[in-house]
Amino acid sequence: MNRALPEMLHCLSGPGNGTDITVLERQRTRVKWQHQEQQNYFVGNFQDLVGDGRCGSVLRHVVTHSVKPDPGFEMNSTITRTSSCPHTEAQVAPEAKGKVSEPAEKMSSTVGRESYKKRKADKVQNTKVVAEDDAKDKRSKVCAEEGESKITTEQTRTKNTTTHPNNRETSADTSRENSKASEVQKPDYIHVRARRGQATDSHSLAERVRREKISERMKYLQDLVPGCNKVTGKAGMLDEIINYVQSLQRQVEFLSMKLATVNPRLDFNIEDLFAKEIFPACSANFPTIGSSSEMTNPAYLQINPAQQMVACCGLEMGVNTPDLMALRRTISAPVSLPETYFDASCFTQLQPPSTWDADLQNLFNLDSNQGRSISFPSQPFTGSIEASNLKMET
Amino acid sequence: MISKGATWNSNSCRIKFARRFVSALLHMRNRNTRPGSLTIEGVRTHTQRIKIAAYLSMAQAVGSRRAWSRAVLSKHGSRARRHSRMGRSSVGLKKTRVIRSYPPGELGQAKKLRQLVPGGKTMDMCSLLEETAHYIKCLATQVKVMQTLADNFSK
Repeated sequence: MNRALPEMLHCLSGPGNGTDITVLERQRTRVKWQHQEQQNYFVGNFQDLVGDGRCGSVLRHVVTHSVKPDPGFEMNSTITRTSSCPHTEAQVAPEAKGKVSEPAEKMSSTVGRESYKKRKADKVQNTKVVAEDDAKDKRSKVCAEEGESKITTEQTRTKNTTTHPNNRETSADTSRENSKASEVQKPDYIHVRARRGQATDSHSLAERVRREKISERMKYLQDLVPGCNKVTGKAGMLDEIINYVQSLQRQVEFLSMKLATVNPRLDFNIEDLFAKEIFPACSANFPTIGSSSEMTNPAYLQINPAQQMVACCGLEMGVNTPDLMALRRTISAPVSLPETYFDASCFTQLQPPSTWDADLQNLFNLDSNQGRSISFPSQPFTGSIEASNLKMET
Repeated sequence: MISKGATWNSNSCRIKFARRFVSALLHMRNRNTRPGSLTIEGVRTHTQRIKIAAYLSMAQAVGSRRAWSRAVLSKHGSRARRHSRMGRSSVGLKKTRVIRSYPPGELGQAKKLRQLVPGGKTMDMCSLLEETAHYIKCLATQVKVMQTLADNFSK
């Protein structure tokens, strides 16, 4: 009658694989076994230990200890996690330990499972229930009769808690889904190594991932679109986004119309334009680039706009020495001639800046996409520019 | 996915766009040597051209990194062939008939969003949202640049 628990487990697992014993089967054997053993050893030993007044700590030590002889039980890590006290054999009387370890195995299993459930369950209520069970579990060990009843309630409760996570938890935490515990849906239903929250659905897993991606992007969009904080939910958000995009596109159209009507007056305004327009764009570049801080803001306003553009791009690379500005001014003299916008040489106005950029970028090892982005044909100013570049390098 | 160097990207994006757009404007001005800018039709066509130039220069500033920019570039093809240098040669493709396979999702509003965002017709919801985010960012910078341009011109 007093068979060791491992033997009982092995008898049960006769037909199948030893490791495939379901949790349910284990529970059952343990329940039976505990009824066998409990009155004999359990109460007596613990009452002995109670006298020492170290029941709780001893229990924990026993739990950590008893993990090792457990044959097919993979939750050792969880148990050691929950009961973090280092095991000390000295505290446990050798005879008591031998006898207590076996019921403690069963306890450890329930405790382990509960702690495992605690670790696994996302829902707070589950963890609360499990925690309650744990606390009750430990407290109940002091008195035997209560212990027995509590253990049985724990059994039922663990069964209930297993069903709850199954039904509600559909989150596909891939880190947790490789659990080895099998889910017990119903008492007469044997699950073998089903993964958590994934019982029949690989589709739901993929859907869950996709939904999380979408919600993440919606949140990002919420930050982008102003005034989106009040609306929650996908539909409202999408409406807001659509409205915003439409309004932006309308603005672009309106501004292009404005530019079309204003365009004739492009004569000298472009100089001020660059000075003011690119200036705020550049001023924000300073902290991001964090390179040389030699540029002075008012200096830009004095510069010719062609130089301004160059200065703007040079600013990306953090170069703005007074020498450079002087160089630019010298270059601007030949450049300003083609600044009359009514002939093809208006291209050349922008060409030197682009090649200047290219050279500067080569100097400063930046991405030269910017410089080469305007791919105008080569122009006569390159020679002078390269000369000035050499000057700048020295 | 979501860029961390967002400030740097937006600024460089803005500068690139500004440069291209202004050069395009000058180019256009140079091309129309005052044919009849005061007529309504002239203004309208000019507006259209400026608008296309704005979107094109924005798409070129972004490059071929984004699906929407590739779509814009392929739509207005000839100039893109000259300027695009990225590996993906979606530029070389002719205007093929894209079978509108709306991926299943939320149909009502997503449809509208797909029409708004360039190239959004054949994207799934996830990438559609991502492209929308980037598109909104770029549109906002475009509007800002054009606004300052217009302000400076109208002074």
